[in-house]
Amino acid sequence: MAVVHLDRKVPAEKYAHLGTGPVPIEPYISPAYYEREKKYIFKKVWQHVGREAEIPNAGDFLSVDLPASDASIIITRTKDGTLAAMHNVCSHRMNKIVYDERGSARKLYCKFHGWSYDLEGKLVGVPAEASFYGLDRAACALTPVSVDTWGGFIFVNVDPKPKQSLAQFLGPMYASLDGYPFHKLTVGYQWKTVVKCNWKLAMDAFQETYHVAFVHGPSIAAALRRDKGGAIVPIDGLIDDFHRRLGVAGDPRSVYGNPKAITESGSPAPASAGRPIADAALKLGRGGMNASFDESDRPPGLNWTNDPDWAFDINVIFPDFYLSLRPNYMQAYNFRPLSHNETLFDARVYYPEMTTAGGRLYQEYMKTALRDVLLEDCSTLERTQIGCESGAKTHMLLQEHEVMVRHQAWVVDRMIREGEAAEA
Amino acid sequence: MSATQLPRGFEDLEPFLPWAGETETVRNHYRIDRPQNEIETFASAIVTRLTAICEYLDAFPLNEMPDDARRLYYMMLSVAETAPSVEGYHAPSVPYGYDSRRFQAQEDFPLRPRY
Repeated sequence: MAVVHLDRKVPAEKYAHLGTGPVPIEPYISPAYYEREKKYIFKKVWQHVGREAEIPNAGDFLSVDLPASDASIIITRTKDGTLAAMHNVCSHRMNKIVYDERGSARKLYCKFHGWSYDLEGKLVGVPAEASFYGLDRAACALTPVSVDTWGGFIFVNVDPKPKQSLAQFLGPMYASLDGYPFHKLTVGYQWKTVVKCNWKLAMDAFQETYHVAFVHGPSIAAALRRDKGGAIVPIDGLIDDFHRRLGVAGDPRSVYGNPKAITESGSPAPASAGRPIADAALKLGRGGMNASFDESDRPPGLNWTNDPDWAFDINVIFPDFYLSLRPNYMQAYNFRPLSHNETLFDARVYYPEMTTAGGRLYQEYMKTALRDVLLEDCSTLERTQIGCESGAKTHMLLQEHEVMVRHQAWVVDRMIREGEAAEA
Repeated sequence: MSATQLPRGFEDLEPFLPWAGETETVRNHYRIDRPQNEIETFASAIVTRLTAICEYLDAFPLNEMPDDARRLYYMMLSVAETAPSVEGYHAPSVPYGYDSRRFQAQEDFPLRPRY
């Protein structure tokens, strides 16, 4: 399906396939539904697992647990500089080989009986090898997993034969972002928490702007643009068969809502009046970064409507990766399912490197503000899950600007139905 | 507390040395455990000095600060940590927010600035 614009000027028939009625909450609370998501989605699609820059040198590795795929995956930087991915399962008696989340090694050793593998997963060492019966080393490599990158993000797919390449999966929606300065955002901060809620419910809290005026009242609500009725609504939205995007407008007088705040000279933003720390961070931060950004860093897909007040785009890369792009930094969140009602929220933000004390003050200010905004976002998740599981209600009601919540539910359900139909 | 903990010219900030935590985790937990008036007292004592602090610290590369400058640097980062309390929430923690002790900063994330 082609990409569909959800601009308010576009007739609603364009996304009539999503419907307008109440949406069932069974998929958010049902262990059986989760098992179907595992089978038809998480064992089939590309999943984001980290940044290439986390493993820059030969021998560097990541290991990532993907419970919804019933898998643990090792991603290595090989000697020729490429990435390799394999199941974290020893060919001997299936023990997990890498226990640590990341590290660096010349070989990967199984801690059970000492079998060793090179960075591509080839079996290179077997203690007491002569005691085995005709062991064929070449047939005992670690089981490979498809791996590819986009914008410096690493994706893996545990399907032995993925239906689509990563480029085919992302291209229709995200090719217009090629040229975004991912490579200039070399510094990152990461937080992790296990939230007792369904992964879709967690993502839903981030893919609409209706909540901003309430959940973020004391923090960023004033930094986003309101319509004549006082509502914070997206500039536009895009959907395809998997992914979705929202463009969000800011108040250019605020620090958070003005993407140019730190890169352009001038007096501090008036909206920060009465906020001396914000003022100082902005003033002292100027000139403190090691990268510069200009129009060439703005591919056509960024702020695709060319709205003058544009602040950032939200990109939801199906199934569980949220990537918010701004001109000079980006937020990258994973809502990784652990069970039907547990989600690992792996939240990261990437900035350019700061080279001065003032630059670091500004970055610390922005990062701290973001972290506390995320604490606001997370505040509803477990409470909502409890409400869903209470049985008090069976459906949720969604307005037109919560269409991405509707779209996610639709995509998940469609993939399950298509998967089951293909087996029938 | 010895008078040599902070660089010359910043000795008056020594009462605030407990704010010079070395990591986001330490600085955040210190903040949310303080009463709001202590957070505000710290922030107002430092905020007017930030220009002078940055001027002083910029004499050193970020990774080669002597210990006294490093403490001043962490104290400066703590001002950023207090900003949401002082300029947004008017409370030590996010009101009705998710517990920040459960939202754990990954201090060993390889792309995190060392300083």
